[in-house]
Amino acid sequence: MKRFEQTVNLLKKNLADSILELNTPHPRRAFVLLKPETHPDAVSLILKNVERSGLSTITGVDLGKELEINYHMFCGGSVTLKNRISREKPFTKTITDILPGANLYEREVFDLLGVMFEGHPNLERLMLPDNWPQGNYPLRRDWKLPDIPESSAEDSNDTEETKPINFEEAGTIVNVVVGPQHPVLHEPERFSFKVDGERVVDVESRLGYVHRGIEKAAERMMYFQDVFLVERICGICNAAHTTCFSQAVETIGGIETPPRALYLRTIIHELNRIHSHLLLLGVAGHLLGFEALFQHVWRDREPIMDIIERITGNRLMSGFNTVGGVRRDLAPSNVEKTLKTIEAVRKRADFYLKVLEEDATLRMRTEGVGVLSKEDALKFCVAGPVARGSGLPADVRKDDPYAAYEEIPFNVVCYDECDTWARLMVRAEEVLESLNILQYALDNLPDGRLRIRVPRKIPEGEAVSRVEAPRGELIHYVKSDGTAYPYRVKVRAPTLANLVAFPDAIRGSYIADIPSVMGSLDPCFSCTDRMVFVDTNNNKRWHMSLDQVNASKNWKVR
Amino acid sequence: MPKLDLVKWARIKSPWLLHFNTGACNGCDIEAVALLTPRYDVERFGVKLEPSPRHADVLLVTGAVTKQCLSRLKMIYQQMPSPKFVVAIGACACSGGIFKGCYGISERLDKIIPVDVYIPGCPPKPEAILQGVAKLLAKLEGSK
Repeated sequence: MKRFEQTVNLLKKNLADSILELNTPHPRRAFVLLKPETHPDAVSLILKNVERSGLSTITGVDLGKELEINYHMFCGGSVTLKNRISREKPFTKTITDILPGANLYEREVFDLLGVMFEGHPNLERLMLPDNWPQGNYPLRRDWKLPDIPESSAEDSNDTEETKPINFEEAGTIVNVVVGPQHPVLHEPERFSFKVDGERVVDVESRLGYVHRGIEKAAERMMYFQDVFLVERICGICNAAHTTCFSQAVETIGGIETPPRALYLRTIIHELNRIHSHLLLLGVAGHLLGFEALFQHVWRDREPIMDIIERITGNRLMSGFNTVGGVRRDLAPSNVEKTLKTIEAVRKRADFYLKVLEEDATLRMRTEGVGVLSKEDALKFCVAGPVARGSGLPADVRKDDPYAAYEEIPFNVVCYDECDTWARLMVRAEEVLESLNILQYALDNLPDGRLRIRVPRKIPEGEAVSRVEAPRGELIHYVKSDGTAYPYRVKVRAPTLANLVAFPDAIRGSYIADIPSVMGSLDPCFSCTDRMVFVDTNNNKRWHMSLDQVNASKNWKVR
Repeated sequence: MPKLDLVKWARIKSPWLLHFNTGACNGCDIEAVALLTPRYDVERFGVKLEPSPRHADVLLVTGAVTKQCLSRLKMIYQQMPSPKFVVAIGACACSGGIFKGCYGISERLDKIIPVDVYIPGCPPKPEAILQGVAKLLAKLEGSK
């Protein structure tokens, strides 16, 4: 909290000339309207003077006559720096030279709103499909869906024919393209690794295979309907999204959520974290070739899914939160059952922590692999377990408490090793920490109402809401124009923050370490099973499965 | 004596599945992976997840089909050997679900490729997916 006040005073003192308006409407939230093109000064001022500060995300809002670009800086709370630019000539200065972590956020605003960031190193498409017509920016208010020609396979970057690799032709640096289709795991994204022999030189990512347009869809649904929409942004951390969105709307509307609802929210949020961390530990085991760990962890994740099902009625999509509170109560008999299950899970979690600490093979595969130094972690503004594995005690639950976290005692797990092992350990220890939080919340569950009836129309205003999702800081920005429909909803999920740091963490690693490093960043990703090889000299492409690569006689390790 | 159809027999005893996420939120994907783990253990029916489309009998699709994924989905379907079967897991794959009409979404899955089994739910429980797989096996029995 001190850091937040320090930031606001700093801005008032040093940038008095360029500040047009400064509001602090909610606790630990400030909105600062700056004179055009003075935002880089404000950003660098905060970064230089405030400890552990960084950029959460950049939101572009179409105000009708102007475009407003909001820079959400985290610094104990959240300070939003606003820069307004003309809609006809949407040019503005980049901040990637000050903060490399802004790279993907600026690309996103460019892609969806058409803002040109002058000086950005590679201002390219990030989210929209390859065949999207030029000059169409879906998040502008007057935008209408154009006719989009169906993309043929030739347009896409992943057409190729199967043939063996000829390394004499291919040269020393080879592109290994992973995705968009790959087994066992979930999201279809495409990564292109530049590989010299066995070492990874660089990586480029192409996102947007699951870009559905949720932010636009949220604008045509009412607030209480949007809760169900944002829940479906991510099936794993759905409670984090609903908590975050409900909080934002409650803040704008000035709605006091009852204490029992806040505790119940915390409970479901922590259950979400436990199942997500266990899921990742299992997947990490699978990626490292430790199949037994995968099967065991996932077996022990099932009791947690049972608790969620007993409380909410569904295993994954809980539909539990709503604006103004929660939708279901927790019966005393259910509390007892849950406490019993927690004890059983705690024993298993202790065991897995021991496995991670003591298993020699696992440590050899993960120690010193995918190192992301503390400085780089700050520079790229990474979030969650990735930041905590790099020695940054960044946790929204402590820095900027929400729901019932102010009253619940817990520790922030933090490791200084900065490698894949540290990131896995953070998650394993956090499972135990979450079980403690859960127990405390269940023992101290206050009585009272579950929810407050909220009018459909929400008064004019804006709010930034932050929660600590299993993968890190999740931020929702909601702007209301006084109707029942939001004017703008912006979501920044933690994976986008951590993806910026991925090239840095993977550079210099072996190809065989790609899965484990990727897994430890937890973007829900496995790879290397279906690769596309690109000849950098003549741009020919072909693909092979991992088995084919292994069987290929042409495969030589250089 | 009836003719012994070895390929068909093998397919029913051990269908190989290929999983492709065409724009899902991970909910259905997680439940599909949970199928492989000890509590549900779908491998006892000989079902196996297969990484390459060229070796797969059944395509599991999760999620509404995004515009960016459309051509990849078609390519993967083409690469599968015949006879091929498609299972749509979850409300989004069955009908588009809550994302119907979003600008990033193309057509409904069954307008793009033929679908054999629909498993509704958001997300369907692993038991429901198991039932879907069982129905698919019954369908395989009738195939040529």
